[in-house]
Amino acid sequence: MTNASTAIDAAATGPSFVARLLRHQEMALLLCLVLVIAFFSFTAENFFSVRNMTNVLGQASLALTAGIGCAIVFISGEVDISIGSLLATIALPLIIIMNETGSLALGVSGALLFGLIVGCINGYLTAYVGINSLIVTLGMMFVLRGGVYLYTGQRAIPDDAMLDSFILLSDGRLFNVIPYSAVIALILLFAFAYMMRHRPFGRQIYAVGGNQEVARLAGYDVRRVKFICFIISALLATVAGIILAARVGSAQHTAGLNFEFQVVAATVLGGVSLAGGIGSLWGMALGVLILQFLSNGLRGLGLPTEWQLVITGMIIIAAVAFDEAKRRRANGG
Amino acid sequence: MPADILHAGESAGTIDQTMPALEMRGIDKRFPGVVALDNVDLTLQPGKVHALMGENGAGKSTLIKIMAGVYGKDAGIIRIQGREVDIKSPRDSLKEGIKVVFQEIALISEFTVAENIFLEGYPTGKGGSIDWKKIRNDSAALFKRIGFNVDPAARTGSLPVSQQQMVEIARALAHEARVVVMDEPTSSLTPNEVSLLFTVIRRLTGLGIAVVYVSHKLDEVFEIADTVTVLRDGRHISTKPVGEHTNDTLIQDMTGRRIDNLFPRQRGPAGTKVALSVEGLSTAKKLKDVSFEARAGEVLGFFGLMGAGRTELAKAIVGYDPITRGTITIDGHRLAPHDTRTGVGLGIGLLTEDRKTEGLMGELPVYQNASLASLGSFARLGFVDKAKERKAVQEYVDRFRIKTPGLGQKIKNLSGGNQQKVLISRWLMRGLKVIVVDEPTRGIDVGAKSEIFALIDRLAGEGLAVVLMSSEMPELLGLADRIAVMCEGRLTATMSRDEATQEKILNAAIG
Repeated sequence: MTNASTAIDAAATGPSFVARLLRHQEMALLLCLVLVIAFFSFTAENFFSVRNMTNVLGQASLALTAGIGCAIVFISGEVDISIGSLLATIALPLIIIMNETGSLALGVSGALLFGLIVGCINGYLTAYVGINSLIVTLGMMFVLRGGVYLYTGQRAIPDDAMLDSFILLSDGRLFNVIPYSAVIALILLFAFAYMMRHRPFGRQIYAVGGNQEVARLAGYDVRRVKFICFIISALLATVAGIILAARVGSAQHTAGLNFEFQVVAATVLGGVSLAGGIGSLWGMALGVLILQFLSNGLRGLGLPTEWQLVITGMIIIAAVAFDEAKRRRANGG
Repeated sequence: MPADILHAGESAGTIDQTMPALEMRGIDKRFPGVVALDNVDLTLQPGKVHALMGENGAGKSTLIKIMAGVYGKDAGIIRIQGREVDIKSPRDSLKEGIKVVFQEIALISEFTVAENIFLEGYPTGKGGSIDWKKIRNDSAALFKRIGFNVDPAARTGSLPVSQQQMVEIARALAHEARVVVMDEPTSSLTPNEVSLLFTVIRRLTGLGIAVVYVSHKLDEVFEIADTVTVLRDGRHISTKPVGEHTNDTLIQDMTGRRIDNLFPRQRGPAGTKVALSVEGLSTAKKLKDVSFEARAGEVLGFFGLMGAGRTELAKAIVGYDPITRGTITIDGHRLAPHDTRTGVGLGIGLLTEDRKTEGLMGELPVYQNASLASLGSFARLGFVDKAKERKAVQEYVDRFRIKTPGLGQKIKNLSGGNQQKVLISRWLMRGLKVIVVDEPTRGIDVGAKSEIFALIDRLAGEGLAVVLMSSEMPELLGLADRIAVMCEGRLTATMSRDEATQEKILNAAIG
């Protein structure tokens, strides 16, 4: 947590230090993550190695990047489930432009522009027209997925340009250790976590999600705040989509299928409330890592995918139920 | 230039004293089916306290909300220091230095107190990041300066309502202000805190800030205000120096009639049949060994200071909250703990202090709100017979003269007093034996109060046992047959109306 809140906590009197530490969502999650890693380190072969750890981090980077946007939209009191389809769609402008021009910069610009337009449409329909964001982004999810399918059909559109810098994005590692995709995700995570805690705009997002009417009375432009949150979400999903395209090496209609639900699950597990105004990006990040290490470890134990899904699902429900019970007790009723 | 209390000295005269701080001329506001304001004028002088009075529905809140940019106006002009301004949103209003302390707490409950105080504009340091240290220090300094005892580091939602109200007030003072509006700021403050508030208001006026004070409490208005404007039914009735008013003239302006007797007693003496009997009642959190009886046709009043356990008692005896020990018997039947269903079945109902969250379903029409507890009696083959339901509700609307455009009106559009009557109808329709009424007149104006009092009198007159929880002593002395006093979860005294005095009650309440 940040300076501000630790200083406040230190000043507070009451329950024991450990109890207060655990009351922080992030601390409880960190403990969970440590337990998950410890458990598989003892039970699963080859789990506790630098290679496996960094691999998991690389796999988690897509969900981490898109999860930032997902969490921000949640905190503003809305939802965005179009990110999985956007992830797949974004490969089209990216790869087509790269194939035509041979320029990564132009391809990425084209992809970001596409993401920006999608974010604007989601944000405009939700914030200014007033349609429920679940419906708007559900619709957008189908439109984008269908659009990619229409364009590609059953085939994949391969990346013919094979630019070095683009391929580096998929298998390059900083100092030969940390995947570049994870580096990008972590930089974005730190930057946006700083914004959410220390920039007025970040606090406005919390205020809008916490109580829209109060935020309006405090002079905030509630609609603008929400509009921008959807743009942030779409742009971050675009970045994740670029990384995915580099890994897959093509644009195809099945890319990122169900990705939005993995991200939503991790975000909720990380303590970000669907009701808005509650949770942090650090919590989301821990949620992503817990799920990623869990599925990696279960695979290491030789458990089939079906069981991984079942176990993951149960853990999410249990975690949120636990959290809800804790919150009720804290509110004394 | 506006001024603010934190940075100004005790008498910084930076505000132009020659022009009105704010003028509203010919303000009109219509809502569907209602004229909320009709050609209303208001002129605020710098450095003066201007009381805005009127019954609920008179238009005070609408006028304030137009000032605050929450509503747009349909006609009229607003001038600030002689300059015409166009206030289209709360932001415009805040920029002009108009700070409103709303009646309903407008704070983000997940934020700390300090952050809420600077919600309107975070102080930022280099590069535009928030200066949290300044926020903590300034909010602590602000509380110290105005003498409120609130922890700036506390999570706002964890504070009791009275402290949240203090945060609201402090927030209006944290930024430069020209006009500070306080809408019922004292509804949950103790007398001590009210006097602190008045010191703050005097300091504000010393800085040349114009203060608008909205309250139903006449004594407060006479103490603090320089000028009084009365609105009634959306119209401007009078604006006079407070010295030209007496209690009677003020009430007369507000209601348009004279209220000679606030507590008309129509009912006969209480019966002898015990309708409710409570023995040795204890709850985990508050109540300790509470025993009493209430008879049919009787109003039994409960007095207690804040935290004495009145609300807890109300919730426990209707079976809302679990009890740890004791028995509750209604009309000869034992009530199982934590069982509202049986409670309703046995004929006990609760009118809650918090109408919005625990009683009303704002979006639903009047008739559904009224029939909620007795849907079973209108059911045929598992479906509600709408015609029968509406007919039954209409009887109560006529009987209690509930002012509503129709049975289908959303209840949130009714005035507080009329909402209260709908809730009472809900329980009467169910064939009630005992009714528990918790703070029925909180936030209700004089005119509606007298109607509520008449209604309670009438409920007892119809043979119900009324258990009335109140923190207003005159209300209890005027209404109750007997008064029970609570202190820290215990019953400390029970006295008949004839032997009760304010002093005796207070002594028992202190314990």
